[in-house]
Amino acid sequence: MSEVLHLVGVFFSYAVLAIFAQNAIFTRGLGVSRLVQLVGDKRTSSWWFALMLCITQVLVAPLAFYAGRLLAPLPNRAQLRPVVYLACIAVVCLFELVVLKLAKGPRSGQLIRILPIAAVNSGVLGTVLVERTQSFTLEQSIGFGLGSGLGYLLAVMLVTEAQNRLRSRAIPEAFRGLPITLIYIGVLALAIYGFTGHSVIL
Amino acid sequence: MRRHIAEAIARDPEKFAHHDRIFKNNPVVMQGMGLAPLVVLATSGKNAAMLAVAVALLLTPSRMLACLLSRLCPLRDERPEPEELEKKLLPRAFVYSGSAAVVYLAAYPILNMLFGTDLLTMGVYLPMLVVEPLLTYRFGRVQESMHKAVSKGLRITLGYALLLLILGCVREWLAFGTVFGVELSRSILPMASMPAGGFIVLGVVCAVWRALARKQREYLKNEARGYLAVHPQSQESGKEEKE
Repeated sequence: MSEVLHLVGVFFSYAVLAIFAQNAIFTRGLGVSRLVQLVGDKRTSSWWFALMLCITQVLVAPLAFYAGRLLAPLPNRAQLRPVVYLACIAVVCLFELVVLKLAKGPRSGQLIRILPIAAVNSGVLGTVLVERTQSFTLEQSIGFGLGSGLGYLLAVMLVTEAQNRLRSRAIPEAFRGLPITLIYIGVLALAIYGFTGHSVIL
Repeated sequence: MRRHIAEAIARDPEKFAHHDRIFKNNPVVMQGMGLAPLVVLATSGKNAAMLAVAVALLLTPSRMLACLLSRLCPLRDERPEPEELEKKLLPRAFVYSGSAAVVYLAAYPILNMLFGTDLLTMGVYLPMLVVEPLLTYRFGRVQESMHKAVSKGLRITLGYALLLLILGCVREWLAFGTVFGVELSRSILPMASMPAGGFIVLGVVCAVWRALARKQREYLKNEARGYLAVHPQSQESGKEEKE
């Protein structure tokens, strides 16, 4: 019983760590290019995007954990990392595609179109690389993957929410759009450092 | 200014600016691509130079390889039907990122030879380049020719490298008071070396860059109009020749 509680504790503590203290966007800038494009893109729903990203990250975590174990003893592992982890993401995407095709729900088509944008993303590959570089255990990896996806959703929500204010005429013309969005993300990142300190393990 | 350039600017100034991936339509400043390595890694001139070499080794070759392979599932229209996107987007995404990962296999030993253990400072951001939108954004766009892949790849590499070096040097000077290790002043803004500082400095650099690009576009438009107003005859004779 205490073993199970310990595992649940580890899972949730790593999820919370990834949402706030090690937020993918604010502390590492993972997937920030996609976030900036997503916020101005009316065709792609931020919610569905973040949901697909979350699911992909959770499913990739165990696969990458075992792939990382196989990769560890190889002499050229540094070279092989992107190919191997990208293959893991491809397997998960294929699985998600099959599920979406079989489900035939009203949103299946939309989700199939969002899937490649959400999965082939530095947010997903970056999180997998962080998990493996820091040698997380299986439950830590899954917790971190889930938290990282939720952290991404939090960042998307915060930036989307601010868009109306960031379009204000009070902002000098040269700063409108991308520049002010970057400055806004920087200020939010500073607020997070205020809680956690600012060391980032690359 | 040459006549054909003046005519191209006068005809469609936006289209003319669109082709300039180095200054007027820099992919980072205008479209926000490749931000993660810029914000986290480009904290010094040396880091920026390493990253620029990595991008130079990866971007154009991977784009060429992806251009070849993506012919198996090409997107033919600028605005494809949803059914076509559902079929082709996922394979194209993995063709583009997979091509970059394959090129990375060859690029990594070269980078290792050039920079040795310094390469470790790039952490997860070096392998992560294979999914950067800068390298993979074409998967959702219409199929391009090999000539375009090479020419655009080279121009985007130049534009990205230029911004990397500017940002790396500015952040190093602000955070440590040095540029490529040469001491210039005391540290002005230590925060510039952190990712949060990176976002803020990049935002300011983008704003200045955009303002300068807009000014240059206006200048070129006026110059082109002026040129065509002063030399109208050859334009008319050109039309006559065409007729």
